[in-house]
Amino acid sequence: MASRSLDAFARMSIGRAFASGVGMVAGGFLILLVLVAIFAPWIAPFDYAAQNLMNANAAPGWPHLLGTDEFGRDVLSRVIHGARTSLSVSATAIAISMAAGMTLGAAAGYFGGFFERAVMTIVDLTWSFPDILIALIFVAIIGPGLTSTTFAIAIAYLAQFTRLTRAQIVRLKRETFIEATINLGAKPSHILLKHLMPNAIAPVIVVGMLAIGDGIVLEATLGFFGLGAQPPTPSWGAMMSSGTAQLFLSPWVIIFPGLAVAVTVIAVNLFGDELIRALDIRDRLRGA
Amino acid sequence: MPNLLEVRDLSKRFTSAGGPFRKARSMHAVNGVSFDLPERRVIGIVGESGCGKSTLARLILRLIEPSGGAVTFDGDDLLAKSPAQMRKLRARMQMVFQDPYSAIDPRYTLIRAVAEPFEVQGVTPEKPMAEEVAELLEMVGLNPGLATSYPHQISGGQKQRVGIARALALRPSLLVLDEPTASLDVSVQAQIIGLLEDLRAELGLTYLFISHDLSLVKYFCDEILVMYLGRAVEALPDTAAPARHPYTRTLMESTFEPDPKKRRLIAPLEGEVPSPFDLPPGCAFADRCPNASGLCRTETPALSTETGHAVACHHPI
Repeated sequence: MASRSLDAFARMSIGRAFASGVGMVAGGFLILLVLVAIFAPWIAPFDYAAQNLMNANAAPGWPHLLGTDEFGRDVLSRVIHGARTSLSVSATAIAISMAAGMTLGAAAGYFGGFFERAVMTIVDLTWSFPDILIALIFVAIIGPGLTSTTFAIAIAYLAQFTRLTRAQIVRLKRETFIEATINLGAKPSHILLKHLMPNAIAPVIVVGMLAIGDGIVLEATLGFFGLGAQPPTPSWGAMMSSGTAQLFLSPWVIIFPGLAVAVTVIAVNLFGDELIRALDIRDRLRGA
Repeated sequence: MPNLLEVRDLSKRFTSAGGPFRKARSMHAVNGVSFDLPERRVIGIVGESGCGKSTLARLILRLIEPSGGAVTFDGDDLLAKSPAQMRKLRARMQMVFQDPYSAIDPRYTLIRAVAEPFEVQGVTPEKPMAEEVAELLEMVGLNPGLATSYPHQISGGQKQRVGIARALALRPSLLVLDEPTASLDVSVQAQIIGLLEDLRAELGLTYLFISHDLSLVKYFCDEILVMYLGRAVEALPDTAAPARHPYTRTLMESTFEPDPKKRRLIAPLEGEVPSPFDLPPGCAFADRCPNASGLCRTETPALSTETGHAVACHHPI
């Protein structure tokens, strides 16, 4: 019964987010992007790693619709596979961050006291480090690659999810229905899992959705500096990095992955805004 | 009738931590309150806002940990119970809350809200759950067809009925009613009071009724405990008993008389309620009391129980 009512709420709100024109276009683009990422090997016209030095830096045209890079690799195929890298790294990182942040924030908000202060101090500390620095720490420990990138993004957003969840739980804890349920003889686990979390989750999910956009930018940044995806794995950031070398000779190598990042992030943000409006939680996102 | 509830010298002191720039302060929200509640009786706790009556209810149910005193429920010392024992006992002592609007989880359908007591206590009702919930809803005068509604789809009075159904689901013996009608329209108030009266007769319940409305308490209750700033100042053994404490008399005089011929001039209470943070020595009511003497400002009167009509006053009426 629990999941049914939750689903009803979620379905209603997501439906409303799609109802506006902006929401429909942005949401539609994101669904398309996810499908492209999932079916990349079947959609991409060429092998993303196949080099053809005879045809390096070819301008957009036929058969390479978006041209080729300095090794003669098909830019379109690499952008399509890059969507896979960007989305999966960002989504995995945010999922880890959300799970950890919600657990920490809920525990801190529910139990309070010294535990709360300890958790919030540590979490706020992670916020005071620039994202790139956190990434560098992981690169130093486990070497460059997508694992480092994932952990760096997860840590970078941990504070946001923890603070937001904690704020929700602290607010909800004062509601009469919590006291009423305690008075029925409910255990703390029942209060937390059946009442506090289901009521706290909507704004956290929306912020998570928006954070995926930021995660994509961070992943691209790290890739650009060579700290993220390693060749030949296509990543939008790494592609732009190699594109800088021939910015004037063959600008398409840098323009198309850059466009992919920009359009994706804009779509994520626009759709996130629509979700906030549909769920009517703008005021609950403050103070986090 | 044996006592279902015995409250002895129950106290709660809230303290705020001090710091370099402010003093630690403490507030005696409830100060040595004692009373007995026999089975199937209704006791009313009256007093103005902030006198500690809601805190008293929560101390009795151990929703707030008392700072001192004792609560005995059906022979069991509540304050000696472990959290697990307490959770089990809660099934027998339920509460109806002041604000029905936030007393139900907004994500819960009514059927889920009313079935929750069984889920929480791990009790399987004899009948199928849907039937059990339908019966409970009918018992509080709600159409069982509302079972699949969400709280935002029903009215305040209906919400309060759901709150009562939830409280009664586990067949408690004690029901604490914390101003159950204070946030409802007058016509709806009367319906809820009528419902509570019927349920008491039907189920043999014992009520602890908290209200600031003295005329309602006089109508609804068997005996009355009057509170002022955390203390019990008078215990009226029945609703017809004349007030002996000047504060109670003022409360009684300030109730509205429907018959215009019987109306009299209401002497308004002078002065402010003292801050509960720094209570003056002596009787807390002394500054507002017409009969106050020097003794009242130095010595706190104890609740004397000699006559069966207890009053905490140096100069009772």
